[in-house]
Amino acid sequence: MAVAKEKLYRLHLMVCAGTGCVSNHAFEIKEALEKEIKRQGLENEVKVVTTGCNGFCERGPLMVVQPGNIFYQTLTVKDVPYLVEEHLLKGRPVKKLMYQPPEEKTPVPVLSEINFFKKQVLVALRNRGLIDPEKIEDYIARDGYKALAKALTQMTSEEIIKEITTSGLRGRGGAGFPTGLKWQLVRNSPSPNGDKYLVCNGDEGDPGAFMDRSILEADPHSVIEGMLIGAKAIGATQGFIYVRNEYPLAVKRILIALDQARQFGLLGHDILGTGFDFDIRVVRGAGAFVCGEETALLASIEGRLGEPRPRPPYPAEKGLWGKPTCINNVETWANVPVIIDRGGKWFASIGTATSKGTKVFSLVGKINNTGLVEVPMGITLREIIYDIGGGIPGGKKFKAVQTGGPSGGCIPAEKIDLPIDYESLTEAGSMMGSGGMVVMDEDTCMVDVARYFLSFTQDESCGKCTPCREGTKAMLDILTRITEGKGTEEDLTLLEELAHTVKEASLCGLGKTAPNPVLTTLRYFRHEYITHIKDKKCPAHVCRQLNVYSIDPQLCLEKGHGCDVCRRNCASEAIIGAKGEAHKIDQTKCIKCGVCYDVCNFGAVRVD
Amino acid sequence: MVNVTIDGKKIQVEEGTTILKAAAKLDIKIPTLCYHPLIEPYAACRVCLVEVSLRGRKDLITSCNNKVQEGMEIQTASPRVLQSRRLNVEMLLARAPAAEPVQRLARELGIDKPRFPVKDPQEKCILCGLCVRACEQVVGASAISFIDRGTERKVMPPFGEPSAACIGCTACAHFCPTGAITYEDKYGRKVIHSELYLGPATAIRVPIRQAVPMVPFIDEKACIHFKTGQCQLCAKVCERQAINHEMQDETVEVEVGSIILASGFKPFDARRIPAYGYGRLPNVITALEFEHLVNASGPTGGKILLTNGEEPKAVGLVHCVGSRDENYNEYCSRVCCMYSLKFAHLIKEKTEADIYDFYIDMRCFGKGYEEFYHRLLEEGTKFIRGRVSEITDLALTKEEEGKLIIRVEDTLLGVVRRIPVDMVVLATGLEPSIDHNQLAKTFNISCSQDTFFLERHPKLAPVSTFSDGIFLAGCCQAPRDIPDTVAQAGGAAAEALSLADKGSFALEPVTAEIKEDLCAGCKICIGLCPFNAITFDNEKEISVVNDALCKGCGTCVAACPSGAAQQKHFRDQQIMAEIEGLLLI
Amino acid sequence: MPKLTLEELEKIREEARKSIFIREQGQFKAKIIVHMGTCGIAAGARNIMNAFLREVEKRGITDVLLTTSGCAGLCSREPMATVELAGQAPVKYVDLTEKKAQEIFEKHVLGGQIVTAYALGIGSEKTDL
Repeated sequence: MAVAKEKLYRLHLMVCAGTGCVSNHAFEIKEALEKEIKRQGLENEVKVVTTGCNGFCERGPLMVVQPGNIFYQTLTVKDVPYLVEEHLLKGRPVKKLMYQPPEEKTPVPVLSEINFFKKQVLVALRNRGLIDPEKIEDYIARDGYKALAKALTQMTSEEIIKEITTSGLRGRGGAGFPTGLKWQLVRNSPSPNGDKYLVCNGDEGDPGAFMDRSILEADPHSVIEGMLIGAKAIGATQGFIYVRNEYPLAVKRILIALDQARQFGLLGHDILGTGFDFDIRVVRGAGAFVCGEETALLASIEGRLGEPRPRPPYPAEKGLWGKPTCINNVETWANVPVIIDRGGKWFASIGTATSKGTKVFSLVGKINNTGLVEVPMGITLREIIYDIGGGIPGGKKFKAVQTGGPSGGCIPAEKIDLPIDYESLTEAGSMMGSGGMVVMDEDTCMVDVARYFLSFTQDESCGKCTPCREGTKAMLDILTRITEGKGTEEDLTLLEELAHTVKEASLCGLGKTAPNPVLTTLRYFRHEYITHIKDKKCPAHVCRQLNVYSIDPQLCLEKGHGCDVCRRNCASEAIIGAKGEAHKIDQTKCIKCGVCYDVCNFGAVRVD
Repeated sequence: MVNVTIDGKKIQVEEGTTILKAAAKLDIKIPTLCYHPLIEPYAACRVCLVEVSLRGRKDLITSCNNKVQEGMEIQTASPRVLQSRRLNVEMLLARAPAAEPVQRLARELGIDKPRFPVKDPQEKCILCGLCVRACEQVVGASAISFIDRGTERKVMPPFGEPSAACIGCTACAHFCPTGAITYEDKYGRKVIHSELYLGPATAIRVPIRQAVPMVPFIDEKACIHFKTGQCQLCAKVCERQAINHEMQDETVEVEVGSIILASGFKPFDARRIPAYGYGRLPNVITALEFEHLVNASGPTGGKILLTNGEEPKAVGLVHCVGSRDENYNEYCSRVCCMYSLKFAHLIKEKTEADIYDFYIDMRCFGKGYEEFYHRLLEEGTKFIRGRVSEITDLALTKEEEGKLIIRVEDTLLGVVRRIPVDMVVLATGLEPSIDHNQLAKTFNISCSQDTFFLERHPKLAPVSTFSDGIFLAGCCQAPRDIPDTVAQAGGAAAEALSLADKGSFALEPVTAEIKEDLCAGCKICIGLCPFNAITFDNEKEISVVNDALCKGCGTCVAACPSGAAQQKHFRDQQIMAEIEGLLLI
Repeated sequence: MPKLTLEELEKIREEARKSIFIREQGQFKAKIIVHMGTCGIAAGARNIMNAFLREVEKRGITDVLLTTSGCAGLCSREPMATVELAGQAPVKYVDLTEKKAQEIFEKHVLGGQIVTAYALGIGSEKTDL
């Protein structure tokens, strides 16, 4: 199988085409670049390559010019002609399009110098920004499928499992089960007709999480190679990638990648002439968060109702169609090839004693540098939030960080030096989860946060077992009442009782972890709950029903001269005052929408 | 064997036993809601949670599905267990306040009123999933499942529409622990409520309401087991183990000495008389239909009702429908007059209707029959002598509107009358049964002109046929009522028994015989023999006379072209000798 | 579909690496900087660039970095290129033609011998490659 000799270009423009940047016109920028490059006669010298997610989503659309690692951000189509002429033609990188840290005077041109990228260690995301995900040759060029060759020709199944076990890799989907052990269990489980299955869980459902999406969009072959190696290790001949249907770009890229892998004989029969058979089928989800739970996922693949079943028996023993099945998360699979290539010992040298390797986090919320980061286990929250994340925007005070999505918990500011690993997060009352990290500042109401996450889990509860189905609804009702100022002390007691039972008595992980946000916020921010209940006030002013809006007459008159903007915007006609006069809010009519507070340019509206 | 401790008591059970069953062995009852012994455990209600200590870990796990492990220490009512059980039941009580098992559990646990809002105080469904699982695992129809998530979850057929897969077996209702699914019998079909749908009648059923014997049969076409290979609930549930789905039809050959034919009758098809409007006009019914209507286990519970559910104000009884009629059957069907009088009496008892009886002759021949007729006269039944010519709904006057008009010539008054009634009962006559002709061929029985089987002698041998050993009983021989049928049956039985009892019996010596070497095998004699006494020997290719059946009529002798058939003691030589003797005198 | 053998996979890897190695911040043996300021471009620096590019492509080399920079200041002597071998001082070449570029590539970049005839001067600064 010969590969057409690629033309050599002197410049590669790596344009980020992850979903985030795509929704921000990345493809249009790519087209504009190509057009402009042609116009300038540079089409034989400059190549435009679309890659997967670059990670610095806050600053998208992004582009990196190689060689030189010059990083451009917040690009628009209008910027393209100038950029092409200045940098590509004349060799003068464009400063105004480079990243400039908030308090600095000069931009940082080189990607590896930018704080956001500096402390990251890319293992699962090793090909980030460097390959076109729709070209298998790019993947192969960067040592792709080298580990597979090694695994198929130089290693036995037991040796592969041993290598993974040595690496200390733990499931990256949230539970953190030792991967090597899981593979060993599946390998040891008997199957009457020999069928064993491999599944990749790509049903990333946590709101705000997009680690798996990025990996599937940017580097689908890393997952495919991982699954191939896993299949050899456990003795499977058929694999499934279960992707949520809300990731169309990921689905598209996986299908292209699978096709190319098949064309290259890396999937199918007699792979690399070793007699090893394996193929992968893509199954799409249909909008249920619960199908991220492994037994519900398996039911969904089988075409049955997507609800979990009690375990034991575990899927390793009885999974798809009753056969031993190994289910791992996307990120877990992506780590496998590099472990086989560079050795389990190397992987284990990164991280902490119990949590080896790196973890991909989606850093979102009240943070300057929103995006996707991969960091070694053991790095502290402080480093992530301040060094990588660039701190809290607007100089606000850091309050807490929620890890693990709706199954996780809040870690308060006092624990900012907590090292990230499975055990320490669980001890603090939270969990690693799949890698969501939501940063909160002083303007976040923790009761509202609990209510928000619970509303998600309640909506996604499959409804099979009593405690989750009824309990989450009851808890949500109580929390909603509290945020509306209608909570009582008894409510708090009942809330805790419910949280306890839902956690203990639920059938699956969804129910068992749904009360976590409530429990951790109660643990660390109980005073906020009390304030909501006793004083009927929201300290962060997020729970609008508890806000009291008023106009400072002095400010209104002196600064705003009675500009009347608030009154004109008030939908419930609750503001009294004529132009030129100090305005006043009629509390009986005020519906606490907060619009007046937002529109007043003079800060004359006060909220208490 | 596995050793465990439950609530402090030690027990040894077989490996693979669930905690629930192991506890039951110690008479410890762990409450369950979504569990049923015939269905795979679901572990959804969470009421059966118990606290288990094993190898240093203490967990709450469900007891319906988890199997015991060596060394487990199980507590079925520890404070931790009770706390979660109480809250679960409390939440269920809020969801389904009318569900009895939940109410019971709530009482036991000391729960008064749930602290959660109640959406529907009549709700019974606790979402245990037993109906869904029964339909899938036991029955194999998979007609219902759960739809919608979380608190909106409910049991439905696909897309909320009636499902073609539902076979009306009512297994769902049977397994539902709270009675949330109900069904009702409607005109022999089951209507299952809770938005499920009609199906055919149950596959295992008693054929008719007064069947003798009262034993159900399995209708293969409707039976789930024959469709999906599953179910067999009837066999599982039958205490006497009396049900066997593997039974096959057997063809049994029995050698008998005598046969009694009792194939009965079929009613005359009233559609053959279009003028009477049967099948076209509503409320024109046959006698058999009226019997069905008036029976206490019938569709109306014995009430005499029109199709619109109202009681009739006037009823007409029409005699001789299809009997005593040149155009249909010339014979009298014997029973119709009496049963029409019976109907008249019943109608008088049950309704306030005016009763009109249209007769030609009143045949009350039996014991007490005439007296009964007299009683009817006294009851006020209006008897009109005349053959009904037409039943119509075309009204000529205002009083006739909405009624059925019986047009008849009242021969006693000498006028043609139009009598408006609400209901007409046609006294349909009797005809031989459907398979009558086939039976006649099989047994070689002749039929008389009225198409019923021919008896050997109308007066002296009414239960015998021309074939020895084949007897007749009941309406296959002629229309007759129940007392006469019973009497005749007794007679036929006696004749058959006496044949069997005899051991040996005398035959007429003058039977025919066929000379083997002369017989050409033309089989002419076989077809002619009225007594079915000649059979064909396929091997020798000759006809053979059965001495026991041969009556010596001589038909075969006369017909035999080769002279092979001869009558014993009546041979040609003997006849010639006799003639010679006579002539010599 | 003819199945891929191990050897073929390796070959593909090698081939593919050639086109993408410039994306990586790898270890380079040598660095060639073609000055492409407006003056440079006007003097024909593009052709020089392409000449070097063709050399790299022709020989399938993956450890030489070819990059551009802005005007070096000596506009009268354009086209110019700076060649920097790892650990050595950079050498500026001036008044380049395509032929000169090919010679420099062969003799200096690959052979390690500075072509003094075309050089302007040897700088004192060293850079990390």
